[in-house]
Amino acid sequence: MIGPGIKRGTAELAVLSVLESGALHGYEMARRIEQQTKGALRFTLAALYPMLYRMEQRGWIRGAWETSNNGRRKRCYRLTAAGKKKLSPLRKEWAELFEALRRLTKVNHA
Amino acid sequence: MLDWKEIVRQKLAGLALQPEEKREVLEELAEHLEETYQSLLRQGISVEDAAQRAQSEVSDWNDLRRRIHSARAKENSMTNRVTQFWFPGFLTFTISMGFLAVTQKFGPLPLMLRLDHPPVLMFYLPWLVSLPLVGAMGAYLSNRAGGSFRLALSSSVFPVLPIAGLFLVGFPLSLLIEHHVSHNIMVTAFLIALCLWVLFPGVALLAGGLVVRLYGIRLIPSANGSARLQASSSQSKAQ
Repeated sequence: MIGPGIKRGTAELAVLSVLESGALHGYEMARRIEQQTKGALRFTLAALYPMLYRMEQRGWIRGAWETSNNGRRKRCYRLTAAGKKKLSPLRKEWAELFEALRRLTKVNHA
Repeated sequence: MLDWKEIVRQKLAGLALQPEEKREVLEELAEHLEETYQSLLRQGISVEDAAQRAQSEVSDWNDLRRRIHSARAKENSMTNRVTQFWFPGFLTFTISMGFLAVTQKFGPLPLMLRLDHPPVLMFYLPWLVSLPLVGAMGAYLSNRAGGSFRLALSSSVFPVLPIAGLFLVGFPLSLLIEHHVSHNIMVTAFLIALCLWVLFPGVALLAGGLVVRLYGIRLIPSANGSARLQASSSQSKAQ
């Protein structure tokens, strides 16, 4: 069973990764993650925003209001230096976990 | 056309954040729902279905409210303490002590209270008269930052807290260490000084703070951008 810690970890990694390419507002972020994972990861509003606020409070991302071309105000999030620093070890941890699981499942199937 | 701001505002009515912060959260979530809704309409989904599917982004609004509050309030607690207590407290302390220094240098002669023996207690009446305003300012600043009743009043009386500490800790300590107090201060003199420098100023500061908290005096920006003082006891009580 995937525990809440793992779920939270994957979600944070997804957000940090998608923000690496540039600033996005919440809706764009959710759509981008869904598209890039071909629908495997989908964030609802209820899942996304509490996490964004928590990550912002930790200083990993920073939100700022911006006005789009059609005059609508949107809160865009960017990676901070601390967020960039967090991303690298997080990726490594997940890569190690996936590699370990891959080895394990291979052994079991052999 | 659906008013997502109003829908979110109603669903998250009890979200306990500071007004500006709450407004931003509501606006951001409403914007997300609006975009979801518009995207569904562009896909050819009917208005009713699009509205229903957009709303299904949140299955439990109470849970969302709790999680948003927990995410923002936990880390904000330090900032809140600074804006709701330490900043107003230090400002009232600085202003009251600054005004005391100015009064001592340029003001009228202090009231001299001569006791039976050497102790002569000096007291500055203009300073005491100014303290309700200083206390009111402290409570107002704390109140504006979302401070509770207790924090607002603590900010009001902050200037006398160090003096009270000096009287209640400093003098007994010096008695213990030196076995005497300079200038032969006697118990009566000590108590009178305590009243003059802690009790009376404390009451004056508290009075100002209480007026602000109980009658809800707050600066409200008027239509032309200037500010005016408005008293609204009902608002204050509602809070």
